Amino acid sequence: MNKLANQAYLRTRLAIMRANLLGREKLAALAQMPLDELAKHTGFDAVTAGNDATRLAAFERALMQTWLDELSALLRPLAGPARRLLTQWASRYELLNIKALVRGKIGQLPNEQIEQSLFELPGFLSLDHERLLNTDSIPELLRQLQKTRYRRLATQALRQYEERPDPFLLDATLDQQFYSDLSHRAQQLEGDDRTETLDLIGRFVDRHNLVWSLRYRFNYGLQPSEVLYLAIDGGRVLNRSLLQQMLQADTLGDALRQLPKNLLSHREMPEEITLIEAAMRDDLFNHAQRAMLRSPSALSSVLAYLVLRHGEITSLYSIVHARVRGLGDDVLAQALDPLQEAAA
Amino acid sequence: MILAGQDMRHITIKLMREDLPRASLLLAELAAFAPDERPLLEAELPEIPGTSFRSRIRRAWGHFDRLVALLGELPAQDPDTPLLVLRREQLIEIDQWLAEAWKQCAPCDEALHRIEEEFSELHNLERSLEDFADLDIDLSRLQAQHTHLDMRIGSVPLENEPRLRDILALSNHLILNVAGDGDTLRIVVAGRREDASILDSVLHAAAFQPLSIPESFDDNPGALRAELAARRDKLSQECTQLRGQLANWMTTNRRQMLRARQMLEAAEPYVNLRGAARSRGPLAALQGWVPASYLGQIEAGLRESLSLPFLLEARRPRSDERHLVPVPVRQRGLLQPFAMLVQQYGVPRFGEFDPTILFAITFAGMFGMMFGDIGHGAVIIVTGLVLRRRLRAFTYLFVLAGASAMLFGWLYGSIFGVEHWIDPLWIAPMSDPIYMLTVALAWGVAFLTLGSAIAITNRLQSGDQAGALFGPGGLFSLILYLALLGGMVNLAQGDDFPLVATVLLLVTLLLLIAYQWRSSDAPYGERIFTTLIETFEIVNNYVASSLSFLRVAAFSLNHVALSLAVFTLANSMDTIGHWITLVLGNLFVIVLEGIIVAIQTLRLEYYEGFSRYFYGDGTPFRPLRVGRSQASPTR
Repeated sequence: MNKLANQAYLRTRLAIMRANLLGREKLAALAQMPLDELAKHTGFDAVTAGNDATRLAAFERALMQTWLDELSALLRPLAGPARRLLTQWASRYELLNIKALVRGKIGQLPNEQIEQSLFELPGFLSLDHERLLNTDSIPELLRQLQKTRYRRLATQALRQYEERPDPFLLDATLDQQFYSDLSHRAQQLEGDDRTETLDLIGRFVDRHNLVWSLRYRFNYGLQPSEVLYLAIDGGRVLNRSLLQQMLQADTLGDALRQLPKNLLSHREMPEEITLIEAAMRDDLFNHAQRAMLRSPSALSSVLAYLVLRHGEITSLYSIVHARVRGLGDDVLAQALDPLQEAAA
Repeated sequence: MILAGQDMRHITIKLMREDLPRASLLLAELAAFAPDERPLLEAELPEIPGTSFRSRIRRAWGHFDRLVALLGELPAQDPDTPLLVLRREQLIEIDQWLAEAWKQCAPCDEALHRIEEEFSELHNLERSLEDFADLDIDLSRLQAQHTHLDMRIGSVPLENEPRLRDILALSNHLILNVAGDGDTLRIVVAGRREDASILDSVLHAAAFQPLSIPESFDDNPGALRAELAARRDKLSQECTQLRGQLANWMTTNRRQMLRARQMLEAAEPYVNLRGAARSRGPLAALQGWVPASYLGQIEAGLRESLSLPFLLEARRPRSDERHLVPVPVRQRGLLQPFAMLVQQYGVPRFGEFDPTILFAITFAGMFGMMFGDIGHGAVIIVTGLVLRRRLRAFTYLFVLAGASAMLFGWLYGSIFGVEHWIDPLWIAPMSDPIYMLTVALAWGVAFLTLGSAIAITNRLQSGDQAGALFGPGGLFSLILYLALLGGMVNLAQGDDFPLVATVLLLVTLLLLIAYQWRSSDAPYGERIFTTLIETFEIVNNYVASSLSFLRVAAFSLNHVALSLAVFTLANSMDTIGHWITLVLGNLFVIVLEGIIVAIQTLRLEYYEGFSRYFYGDGTPFRPLRVGRSQASPTR
């Protein structure tokens, strides 16, 4: 198919899929519903087998499966860098699975329990979880991972692990590789596709770098240089020099004062890391909403849709999870919109 | 099959629990049963049998795979070997044997990995010493503790070096020397002693591995070389010894390994039933979807292979199950390439109109109309047949498209662009372009009308009455389109816009506006705006789509024009140049125009056809199969 035809296909598909987005108001309405009604509206009532934990896990997997199915449909007409970009985006679930496998093995959980926290992956992702699951130790797991496309990462993790086992370092390395590959793939696009997707990915990287750098520095007490090493290249506003300035500060407040004013579009930067994360997320979603509707690049609109859809699916799961566990309205509201709660 | 999956049946086999593995093996051998994991029988049969069986099988496969990775592949299974049903006690025995086997071999595996790492370290060390020998640096001084200077020698992964260099520069450290091969770089890092903790943390994050330099490096290079060679020899000997042990183990246990694989493969269908099998005490049931044509075979097979009584119940899918019914998508023969192209777009829902046949007919028709030429069509057929091994199923697409091009070539009277060798059965496109455009438009109207009719049927089938009546491509928008079209045709012929058409137009327009108004819950102003825009879009969509079909005529004219250009060019040359131009020109027309026409036809099919009536979100039929399936290891 030619480029024009691809754009037409993507726009058509996207126009149909956009109807799946709930929007803030519907999500807020769902959060107010009692469990029975909520289950009917979200499809949770279709998951009947097992106890609450099993049902929730099955529900989460079903939601993610929907997202992956939609992504598979959007991938169909794409080839070359555009296809590689979206496939890389989907591979974040491979990363989540690798993280779950590593944590499970460190915690010496039985394979069945680890497996419950894994996502089912579509055919275009190739990670063989069964092989990784059937390992006796972290080094063996990492050696199995060396046989996959994560060879470089696994080799590095194996070296780090043998010297000093640090699960969070593996997490950071995985994230770093994921976003670096994503930026690299976006660089290979052309024209509007390139500009628009790099802008969207840059916002993701900014959010990730800001939140995790602050956590590593002020919660985990890592050295500024190490935090800077773990940061990801390709941010839209936060480059390495800005991050360095921020990390040299002694307190969180001082660090935040080093940030540029244009990092958030319509609000002041909050002073708690949780709220900073929420504000950056909010800003990112507002941008994604605009990009989905008005971006001149169909690919960027698709990526923006997937971002929004994933965000909504996560919120939907949180609502059901909170209701099943009997959490109060205030806790749920705090989890869904911490900014509003903080303002209140 | 016009409506997708219409011959699918839901079956429930009630049987004795001990017969479940045998029944699943039989169903897998027939490759006609897709398990249905819904808990339909949960109340009567609350247990899901084989849970412990399943985890044992997976553990056994895990050990088996690791043994094969360590010991080498086993020969392929003899296809004539009869499949045996794996009993629980056999599974326990195989699982325990494999676990014990892995326990025996795992130390060798660990030792081999250690040797590999030591080889790698030795290699890095030797290369580092060569680097430093060239630089004439006293390494013992580098290694020694200094009051102010902190020096580290070691290796990092290749891709980490640029980032490490940048970050270390920010904390006033230097990377002094870089050398390496493959994925690893050997580096020397220098900084202030007081910043040691900073260096430690960054180097750890960069997966830095320190190298320990032997003390004999400076004072006796010959002794050092001998020491390193001795270490290498020792590692090689250890490695050979371990490989020998493993080979001996394999010789002794090959038969048992083959048996384990055979038994585990035979158990796979039972394992993959998951929630589709349920039980209570000695009673069990399994449920799933099968094509109706296999029902007899399944019943006969069960009767033959099960020793205990069973009951097979089959029924048509219920209306509330429509979205769950898997649809067989595999087509054979002529339709296979078209089915594959349909699947590129999506899998039909159960009961949805399967567009494969219509797609094949209209694709061939439109391709032929745009590319009508007996000679060019014949070349496409011959190309398809010559490349049949490479094209596989797509050979049929070449043959059908070529045959259609030949048929239209005959109708147009065109052979390799020459229009005077035979009389056209119908019309030469260039003789009346307006007529050709009218025909293309009429074809477009017919195509869109048929598409809308199918969309209405599909929506009614799936219970979407509102969409069938008021949605884009629904009944009222179709009536509106046809009324508008009828009126325009009358106007074009010099008559008035007919009253019937005016009334139909107004009534359907009002109905569509009313529906759009009711569907929107936006504020008043926005509601007016969206209602008008949405209604306009429905009407505009039909008009734009109709005009889109003019390309069918345009390409038929284009084909003639391109051929004329080739002839004009050829006629301006001498005899040899004339024939070369004719051959190359025709090749150019066949390849370039052939590709463009194929893409345009696909575009019309996908965007003017499929997007109008085809949901394409059905579930493909994936039957249970014998052997190690992809479904079990991939989560």
